[in-house]
Amino acid sequence: MVTSRIDHKWGMVVDLDRCNGCQACVIACQVENNLPINDKNAFLQNRAYEWIRIERYWEGDYPNIKARFIPVMCQHCENAPCEPVCPVFATYHNDEGLNVQIYNRCVGTRYCINNCPYQVRFFNYWHPNWPERLQNQLNPDVTVRTRGITEKCTFCIQRLRRGQIQVERRAGGELNDGTLKSGNHMPACVQACPTNALTFGDQNDVHSPVKPYFEDVNRYNIHHEKERKTRGYRVLEEMNTKPNVIYLKKVDPNLGGGHHG
Amino acid sequence: MKLTRRNFLAWAGLSAVGAVACDVIQDEELSLQSPASLPEDLVKGRDNWYATLGGQATDGEGVIVRVMEGRAKKIQGNPKYPVNQGKQSVRSEAGLQALYHPDRISGPLQRTGPRGSGQYRSIQWEPEALDILRRELRARSQGMVLITEPLRGTLGMIADRFATSAGGRHLGFEALDDTTYRAAIKGVFDQDRLPDFDISNANYVISFGADFLSTWKGSTRLSTAYGEFRQGNKRQTQGSRGYLVHVDPRFSMTAANADEWLPIRPGMEGYLALSLAYVIISEGMQAEGVDVDALTNGQGAAALAAFAPEQIAGQLGIPEQLHEGKSAAEKIRDLASNFMHHGPSIALGGDSAGAHTNGQFNLMAIYALNYLAGSVGSGGGMRFSPESPLGNLADAATVGSAQDWAGVANDIRSGRTRMVLVHDANPVHGLPASMAFESALNREEVFIVSFSSFMDETTALADLILPDRVFLEGWGDDVPEPGPGYEVIGMQQPVVNPLSDLDPRSFGDILLSMAQEMGQESVLPWTSVEEALKSGAEALYNTGRGTSSHAASADDLWNMMLRQGGWWDENARGPVPSAPGGLLNNIAAQAREPGYSGNGDFYLLPFAHNTLMDGRLAHIPWMQGVPDPITTVTWQTWVELNSSTASQMGLREGDIVSVATDAGSISGVLYPNPALPPNVVAVPLGQGRKVGSEYATSGDSRESSNALDLLSAGHLTESGGLAWAGHRASVSGTGESLKIAKFEGIFPARQIGHTAGEAVIIVTNH
Repeated sequence: MVTSRIDHKWGMVVDLDRCNGCQACVIACQVENNLPINDKNAFLQNRAYEWIRIERYWEGDYPNIKARFIPVMCQHCENAPCEPVCPVFATYHNDEGLNVQIYNRCVGTRYCINNCPYQVRFFNYWHPNWPERLQNQLNPDVTVRTRGITEKCTFCIQRLRRGQIQVERRAGGELNDGTLKSGNHMPACVQACPTNALTFGDQNDVHSPVKPYFEDVNRYNIHHEKERKTRGYRVLEEMNTKPNVIYLKKVDPNLGGGHHG
Repeated sequence: MKLTRRNFLAWAGLSAVGAVACDVIQDEELSLQSPASLPEDLVKGRDNWYATLGGQATDGEGVIVRVMEGRAKKIQGNPKYPVNQGKQSVRSEAGLQALYHPDRISGPLQRTGPRGSGQYRSIQWEPEALDILRRELRARSQGMVLITEPLRGTLGMIADRFATSAGGRHLGFEALDDTTYRAAIKGVFDQDRLPDFDISNANYVISFGADFLSTWKGSTRLSTAYGEFRQGNKRQTQGSRGYLVHVDPRFSMTAANADEWLPIRPGMEGYLALSLAYVIISEGMQAEGVDVDALTNGQGAAALAAFAPEQIAGQLGIPEQLHEGKSAAEKIRDLASNFMHHGPSIALGGDSAGAHTNGQFNLMAIYALNYLAGSVGSGGGMRFSPESPLGNLADAATVGSAQDWAGVANDIRSGRTRMVLVHDANPVHGLPASMAFESALNREEVFIVSFSSFMDETTALADLILPDRVFLEGWGDDVPEPGPGYEVIGMQQPVVNPLSDLDPRSFGDILLSMAQEMGQESVLPWTSVEEALKSGAEALYNTGRGTSSHAASADDLWNMMLRQGGWWDENARGPVPSAPGGLLNNIAAQAREPGYSGNGDFYLLPFAHNTLMDGRLAHIPWMQGVPDPITTVTWQTWVELNSSTASQMGLREGDIVSVATDAGSISGVLYPNPALPPNVVAVPLGQGRKVGSEYATSGDSRESSNALDLLSAGHLTESGGLAWAGHRASVSGTGESLKIAKFEGIFPARQIGHTAGEAVIIVTNH
């Protein structure tokens, strides 16, 4: 394994006030990670693969109605419920804070899928098929998963690894916010997001844009939520899964019948 | 080197595997790499990223493409390109699947059976295919029509000049054309180019109908600005989050993201805008330095007295529940006051607001508000990009209006037009069936040449098919519109060669070689698009401005343009128009209520699909398989009705419903939408393709329909555009139902355990 000399702890911050639900992240992820084509059947059977997805929730009734969008990907939990139930250790937590899936260990018990409260793990019910010519597009850095195993968001580990090889090992530099961006090592969804709703970075890096949010949410746990200085929260925080993804609350100035200004 | 344990292991590893692995990984990696590497480290080959343009799907984005071993792997936004600054839309990556699409036409085809039968034989480019083209051009070019996608830049110029000098004309095609929007911008600002909106620095935006976060012009650029508008760094320190009001009879993606959504009777947007103008003037709220007397010919608020909120509020159809205990008139007054007191403010409009018999009036009234708010040419307002620095480049696409297309169809029928050339445009699918464009083309007297890479309804009628290279394989450039407010020329270069089993040829190169043979060297002196681009680059070098000022020679500039994706000069700003005298009087004089075609129970609102647009991307499986942001439906044509209305009609989700207007009827799968006004039926475009790739045509007619077939071809805006939002339709169940292919359901539509109205996504009010 490529070991880096710098201890990273990756994390993502999702600003719900910026997200407009456009789905650019969804496609960027599917292209980068060789996801199978979601045909009509996949949707009819509720078996579409979307490592990152946009959930849309209705709130209220016409005409005082809102559609709220929330992008959901693997939360890379510190206390990941999927990890202890895998009988073959196909899923484990690596030393960079990532929840990792080893495809060639997976035997397809789907225990992890059952145990994931975020429903972000996907089982390959079919062998992935592409027309021959479309296979030219497949990303050589990412394994194509076979039928019978579980897959999920990796925070684009192949991009991080490439960054570590190019920036840290070859050039002797540091993989930080600047080099992640300039070297194209951000996860594909983060890079694509037109509204910059997704921010990715190293929680150990004092200059990382994600650090203040993780600090704040870690300092004031769910029992002291009101003392938080930022809009940060974790999804299903009460389950104590400790995700490495933090969401920033959507802002609605009209809550409680208030007026703008 | 000091011998440590680490070094020892590394060198031991190298000697062990070096002999077999040296062609797999590079030396410097070996020197540090353990032999127990994971396979992810052992990818063969090196990747390169090339800057180019994103093609038709992206409407002027600059992209970078990852190429490995001669194959394109990923498309991303070009971080240096001023228009989209490294970001991309959901449609950007469609180009990859177009490039490697299994259904690409592999080489020239000549029709052998009756027109439309799909019987073709493969022929060679030289001499057969080009001979036929040459022969027919000589015999029929007088009066011919060249139909393309909306083209700008060098290719736009080549198409224009080729068609004109051959005795014909060139028209860009878009199903939902922007001719009314252009006419309104011309009327209010006297500008030929579309404006850009500095939303990132605005504090208050009222958008009328324009779905600018999804499919409207420049949506990627505006989405990035929207992110800043909400939570940019400056916002967070000043606590000044931008406030968005969206006025739209349909609950669009932009409506979903607005702080306030105002449903309005379709086509009444202009009345609301003039009412806001009335309040602003009568209460003296206009921005400092705005000469109201000039705008109103000295009449002041009296010029707009007919639009006082008390006069017209009742006609706008704003639901009472939105008034919060106030009258509709008071609501309008509040809106005007917030618009003026929380500036910088922008009023923008488009899409359905301009697609009515009074569409041009609506848009002019909306844009005139920007003069009152003092936001024309200012930070946080709207701005115009300058003309192209090269006079001969097309800096605005010539797009045909519905009236123009009816004229083309007549010319073909009357025999004035005997030749039609089509490139990446599908008017047979994209024009309302009631225009009968298909029957006009389906005549033996006309010779049709298609330069498309894919079979579609129009190409299927062609006599000769000469497949073009897709944008990742060809040269080109672009003058983005809307631009970023200064001079930009984007460069498109071939990043890969066509696969060996494909034999496409550049459309531009063919036009140029035909032009030479027809004696048009004086207007089209180049032998290839690349040569035309190089001569353009030389002219740019001679300006010495912008990117050119960093280049040592013309060759150096050419390389720089290819590397960074184009040429730009941030100092060359666009014009700041001033208001024509009596503008508001003129607009008020044009006011009239919208006319609706047909008399069904519902207002019909078709709309561009978030990923398929008007159907031009329906053959791309990624685009089909992306859930619609609002309904989450994929692969099908859905029909949106208000949930309560649907249940009153005894209709449930998945029921096949028939939507009928005077012009025709279609069917689709019902999606009860809790946010749609009860008197509206909304249907997306994009599906209903009958000829072409299986991805586009696999749905049966119950679940895949072309909403354009519902439109009446003679129902037009003042400027001849299609009044596609001004129809009435009836809706009825067919008794059949299908399972709806939606993503919702994998997650619930409303969070379980939460009561209606309670927040699911955690929301704060500051």
